[in-house]
Amino acid sequence: MTPYAPILTSHVGEPNSYSLDFYVTHQQGYEGLRKALTQEPGDIIDQVKTSGLRGRGGAGFPTGLKWQFVLKDTPNPKYICCNADESEPGTFKDHVLMERNPHLLIEGCAIAAFAIGARVAYIYIRGEFYHVQQILEAEIEKAYAAGFLGKNILGSGFDCDVYVHRGAGAYEAGEETALIESLEGKRAQPRIKPPFPAVAGLYQCPTAVNNVETLCNVPLIVLNGPEWFSGMGPEKNGGPKLYCVSGHVKKPGVYEASMHTTLRELIYDHAGGMLDDRPFKAIIPGGSSVPLLLPEHLDTPASFDDIQKAGSMLGSAGLIVLNDSVCMVWLAMNLLHFYRHESCGKCTPCREGCDWLYKLLARIEGGEGQPKDLDLLFGVSSNIVGKTLCAFGDAAATPVLSTMTLFRAEYEAHVREGRCTLTADWRAAHPVMAAH
Amino acid sequence: METVTLTIDGQPITVAKGRTVLQAAIEAGVSVPYYCYHPGISIDGSCRVCVVKIEKMPKLQTSCSTLCADGMVVSTREPDVVDARAGVFEFLLANHPLDCPVCDKGGECPLQDFSYTFGPADSRMDFPRRVFDGEGVKADVDFGPTLMLNRNRCILCTRCVRFMKEIDDDAQIGIVDRGAGSEIATFQEQGVHSLLSGNLMDVCPVGAILTRDYRFKSRPWDNPTVVDTTCTLCSKGCNTSAWLKAKPEWAKGSRLIRMTPRYNPDVNGYWMCDIGRFNYHWVEGESRLRRPMTRNGDVLEPTAWHDLQPRLRDRLRQARGSSESAASSVQAPPVRFLVSAHASTEELFVLKQLVEGLMGSEGLNAVTLAWTTSDKAQPAGTKFKVSRTNAPNVNGARDLGYQVGAGNEGTPDLSALRSAIESGQTAAVYVLDPGPDGSLGDTSWLIAARQNGTLPLLIVQGAVMTDLASAADFVLAGSAFVEKDALYTNDQGRVQAASRAIAPPGEARDDWSILVALGQSLGLALAYESAIDVRRALAATMPDTPYASADLLVVTRPVAARNWLQASNPSERWKWDFLYQDLPPVKGHSVQMEGISPRAAYIPLKLTE
Ligand SMILES: Cc1cc2nc3c(=O)[nH]c(=O)nc-3n(C[C@H](O)[C@H](O)[C@H](O)COP(=O)(O)O)c2cc1C
Ligand code: SF4
Ligand code: SF4
Ligand code: SF4
Ligand code: FES
Repeated sequence: MTPYAPILTSHVGEPNSYSLDFYVTHQQGYEGLRKALTQEPGDIIDQVKTSGLRGRGGAGFPTGLKWQFVLKDTPNPKYICCNADESEPGTFKDHVLMERNPHLLIEGCAIAAFAIGARVAYIYIRGEFYHVQQILEAEIEKAYAAGFLGKNILGSGFDCDVYVHRGAGAYEAGEETALIESLEGKRAQPRIKPPFPAVAGLYQCPTAVNNVETLCNVPLIVLNGPEWFSGMGPEKNGGPKLYCVSGHVKKPGVYEASMHTTLRELIYDHAGGMLDDRPFKAIIPGGSSVPLLLPEHLDTPASFDDIQKAGSMLGSAGLIVLNDSVCMVWLAMNLLHFYRHESCGKCTPCREGCDWLYKLLARIEGGEGQPKDLDLLFGVSSNIVGKTLCAFGDAAATPVLSTMTLFRAEYEAHVREGRCTLTADWRAAHPVMAAH
Repeated sequence: METVTLTIDGQPITVAKGRTVLQAAIEAGVSVPYYCYHPGISIDGSCRVCVVKIEKMPKLQTSCSTLCADGMVVSTREPDVVDARAGVFEFLLANHPLDCPVCDKGGECPLQDFSYTFGPADSRMDFPRRVFDGEGVKADVDFGPTLMLNRNRCILCTRCVRFMKEIDDDAQIGIVDRGAGSEIATFQEQGVHSLLSGNLMDVCPVGAILTRDYRFKSRPWDNPTVVDTTCTLCSKGCNTSAWLKAKPEWAKGSRLIRMTPRYNPDVNGYWMCDIGRFNYHWVEGESRLRRPMTRNGDVLEPTAWHDLQPRLRDRLRQARGSSESAASSVQAPPVRFLVSAHASTEELFVLKQLVEGLMGSEGLNAVTLAWTTSDKAQPAGTKFKVSRTNAPNVNGARDLGYQVGAGNEGTPDLSALRSAIESGQTAAVYVLDPGPDGSLGDTSWLIAARQNGTLPLLIVQGAVMTDLASAADFVLAGSAFVEKDALYTNDQGRVQAASRAIAPPGEARDDWSILVALGQSLGLALAYESAIDVRRALAATMPDTPYASADLLVVTRPVAARNWLQASNPSERWKWDFLYQDLPPVKGHSVQMEGISPRAAYIPLKLTE
């Protein structure tokens, strides 16, 4: 294992790690903000650009660039929206940060607002994170009381308010424009782009939408310098990274590492190896929306660029590890059950297509599939990809296209045998799951 | 005007800056399907059928949401576009009931039309369809007082949602649930309650929202003729189309089958209100006047025009003579006229010559204009405000010199007339009211005056048998606005024309001709042969006014609803009047009238900004 000392999560195991006092004493709390306020906003953007910080929400877009795009010449207010909707299956890192290290996020919001010229930051938090919202709100109160938020922060003349807004529980609310709609009180459905939020976002004002983990890195960059950040990890993939390892591993959880770390290290060193020591079959490396990778990819570093080279995406860094007991048709069906339920229904291909895909998968998985269903499955998925209003459509079709490409034989076996042939022994040991 | 030039399918096209690729394609006559796009409401980009390929762009783009740029190279016919589009059509129809034979939109449905042109030959969907409220027409549920909703047919284009939010300014329609379970809904299933509700059937590209008025009443191939006309039920003067059902003379039921809005960016945009849309049944209704009548004791007896006219002349002469001795005939004219602001400008023009011929230059003092006003309950921010004045031509009357009171649309003032009648100074009242019942407001006092003898003679010229008409001594059957070529001046002062869509029933006559005949019988030299004659004379007497060119306003005749989509999306018809789209023509109709003047005079080719 590459030696690495956690930064974002250095103290999350300790009691009171969430409190303001703890943050100030143990984590140089709000020193980044203090430093930032002595500089020009443009300097902060430059530092974030130099650091190479890439968005941790899914797309890996350079954060400094995103901030630079935020319209400058406007009489309108600007906004920071922190995307804390964290709903991608297999993803649970932002939760840890907000629950155990909330002030890092609050400080990040304040610096980000300062950098783009905003006076307000909204933290849009997933509907189910009720207790996290309570922690966040209580800690925001304390930050106000200590003068880190509110009017004339640290005597600099800079004002910043941070509000927490809890969603109603929809995956699609994590898409940045749907998030903005939801914040405005409408249905969480995406808008057509352009215009991008940087030009016309919340209330049609210039807005930067950033993931929780992304914003948590900002105080560290300001405090320790962009070179420190970029030096940690492969080129263009710098900084500390949180990985959510789940599935068939001995110790599922959130692990912090540099992006030099390979998938194998994450599974076998950090997460304790494969559950029951069964063979590794495949991994979904970036949350449920990205293509699967196979055993031959295990030595790929878990960085944005390396995972992409291997044919997938780092996405939200939700690593879903699958052992040999997993039926890939069942996997696709399970995921499509999710996507069909979460499709916002705004655009035709995703609304109709996800439902259709799920029905087809359920039929094949249930042993009722016919040979033509396989072509149909492929055809319907292809008719979704690239034709939807937001990236959800691609995300929903990916599990189908990826499993069909890599494990076509399993699909064919289902159709030929009228049942799942793969996991007879595993099924015998897991009767409840097998009922699916 | 700044322009940009792009190519679509190899054809260079120059459009105004700010147009979308879809708008450019439409202007250039390149057929690109669309559902969520509607020129009158905001862009949504959700249906995805308008996809095109644009060079240098990584994915296919929705043309409705992509702005044209100089040098853009767009393709709508390359195989990947064709396939992608067909794929979206397969999705749109995957859960669609395809109950076209019992669907009121069938035959003029953009989903049908575009699917034939751009969709795949068959569907690969073999699961049971999604069903919301039942099957077939049993799935139709109440959607407020004027509408029905069939959720199974809905393609979730959200045009209706956006119409209510943006145009009506009362977002009564929303979507509940999400994904494949999404459905159109109103709060607690209350349905839509709006003065603009009828527009929802026009904006809905499928048979999901239907007006109760038109439901099950006709099929598109049964109403092949459309007449471009103007609504006269308020002073807004919406440009409309009157749809006629093909039916033999002797068959029961009316010919006028529906009214739809006709695009005019300066007056009504793409819309009209429910009053104008649904309140046309009186024209061919039970109480329609079909022939002239004279009083014989307690009853009104049908009388031939040639018998009635001498009698009417004699009674009027008598009435005028009876007070010729009276000193102040100008201040207290013996014969007074009560005229509804539903009278057309031509009618008012002839009437003016009539009264001036009889009473000299002060003749107009003998005429009182009447109309009603009412507050229409509409949300404060509505983009389509219905006028308070329930008559089309107050401003036309004012322009001709009639007294209509102060303010843009004036205020009716009947007090002088009423006291002149009730004090017994008036020998006869001549009423001209071609509007629907109630156009004159309260007439009970006038009826009473006639019945108690204070008023010796009452003549009513109109279109329907009102209480006032039944109290009259003479009833002259005139014509309603869809039965004549007539000018009206709306509340903006625009001179607009209504057109004759159907002939007046039975022996009823054009109102101007009744007045001309009356004038002639009283010895006046009124020599008009046709409505256009009157219009020309009017134009000649009013140089340097908008009326000077009134005779150039095209008089339209019934024309064929030329192709399916033209019929299907009435609010977008302007496009089909000028631009070629390669859709199948209307099948099986015979009324294709040639040599119709282009309707450019009515419909400026302009997109809403
Ligand atoms: C369907 C969908 C769901 C998404 N959900 C999330 C989410 O839960 N959290 C998140 O940070 N980003 C999510 N995203 C990505 C956001 O749209 C956006 O790219 C991100 O918040 C930008 O922040 P970043 O640049 O810091 O990564 C989602 C995107 C899509 C298409
Ligand atoms: S792709 Fe799916 S989630 Fe995205 S807008 Fe379309 S229906 Fe909604
Ligand atoms: S009811 Fe009609 S207009 Fe409304 S969303 Fe459905 S198809 Fe579109
Ligand atoms: S607004 Fe006035 S003119 Fe327009 S349709 Fe309604 S009644 Fe007719
Ligand atoms: S018309 Fe373009 S997406 Fe619907």
